[in-house]
Amino acid sequence: MQSFIGGSIRLGQRHGFYSWSGAHFKANRAYLATNNSSSLIHGSDNSINSSRNHLLQSLGTRLGSQTKELMLPGCSGGCSMPGLSQLAAMMSTCSSRSMTTAASPTPDSSQSVTDVPPRIKFKRLDKTAKHIMQILDKEAVEEVKAQREIPDIKPGNIVQLRVEVPENKRRVSTIKGIVIARRNAGLNTTFRLRRMVAGVGVESLFPLYSPNIKEIKVLDKKTVRRAKLYYLRDKMNALR
Amino acid sequence: MAASFASKCSRVGRSLLGGLGNNLSGLQSASNEVVGNNVWSQQQRTFIQMRTVLKVVDNSGAKKVMCIQALKGKKGARLGDTIVASVKEAMPNGKVKKGKVVYGVVVRAAMQRGRCDGSEVKFDDNAVVLVDKQGQPIGTRVFGPVPHELRNKKHVKILTLAKHIA
Repeated sequence: MQSFIGGSIRLGQRHGFYSWSGAHFKANRAYLATNNSSSLIHGSDNSINSSRNHLLQSLGTRLGSQTKELMLPGCSGGCSMPGLSQLAAMMSTCSSRSMTTAASPTPDSSQSVTDVPPRIKFKRLDKTAKHIMQILDKEAVEEVKAQREIPDIKPGNIVQLRVEVPENKRRVSTIKGIVIARRNAGLNTTFRLRRMVAGVGVESLFPLYSPNIKEIKVLDKKTVRRAKLYYLRDKMNALR
Repeated sequence: MAASFASKCSRVGRSLLGGLGNNLSGLQSASNEVVGNNVWSQQQRTFIQMRTVLKVVDNSGAKKVMCIQALKGKKGARLGDTIVASVKEAMPNGKVKKGKVVYGVVVRAAMQRGRCDGSEVKFDDNAVVLVDKQGQPIGTRVFGPVPHELRNKKHVKILTLAKHIA
């Protein structure tokens, strides 16, 4: 909790301490209600000016997701990323609405208002807070997608995976089967694979964005008229 | 009303809770639910408990055993657990005879078992490998696939005998 406050204070420096305190306290009443937070704010007053220059250099001029990612290495240990992203989202809305009185770089905030990447729409603060989890989820998904190439997996296509099983001494095994179901849940999107192993049917459920899945290759597509092919369990399709 | 809501819960939570949603679903004693009975519920596979008939997949002589007791777990045995079973059907000349009380290790279960990386695995049938009190398999061969879970339960001998590790 304390480290989160520390990170939030550094973000506050970005837009001027005065505007931050006004808007931030209102919005995050729950976070800053404890006694610890008030003492921490007073205690870090000394470090504000010293860290300010460092902060301005490291943060760069653009707001949005880039700031969030840059903030991560500068942040004290223990800060969770969702908390930071949320704060950065709130910070940018604060800056767009309120006037900064401290000597923070105002060209940055004005630039940020116009140049915010369009994929995150910032509404009013409380409106953003309602679906903040959805925004975070989408960001996480895009991050994984940028890192690895994940093809579109629909039920009915035959897929070959290269999975690294942690229980098997990190040995990469290839699994080939037909996708019988896909459940969309943001980062936790899972799909079920059905295959015949040595005469016995085995169904496995995998998270699509799992780092254990090294490679996915779509081999074939079967035309199906259903999203969940559970009827295949009774059909006992031979040879896979 | 409550039953339909509960079975809706079971459908949603089935993969998430990994079978522990048994209490929520309200289908406590049924291990196989007939599909088409209720349009919202899938087949909710549950634990291996008393009176569950399992297939034997080694060459110890037995063909089918019935579970008498699941040694660990209040609700029943899962994949990788040991059970006490009674031999119901056996080959004429084998190491175990009909009516004998034996221990077994569940190597295939129709109930899904979650792994630590978030994936789950489930088989199409329930199968067991007979072991003695120390945990050493009685037979000398194991047929069909066995899961990785046996490695954590220290059933390394069964893993080495198996031809395929799912």
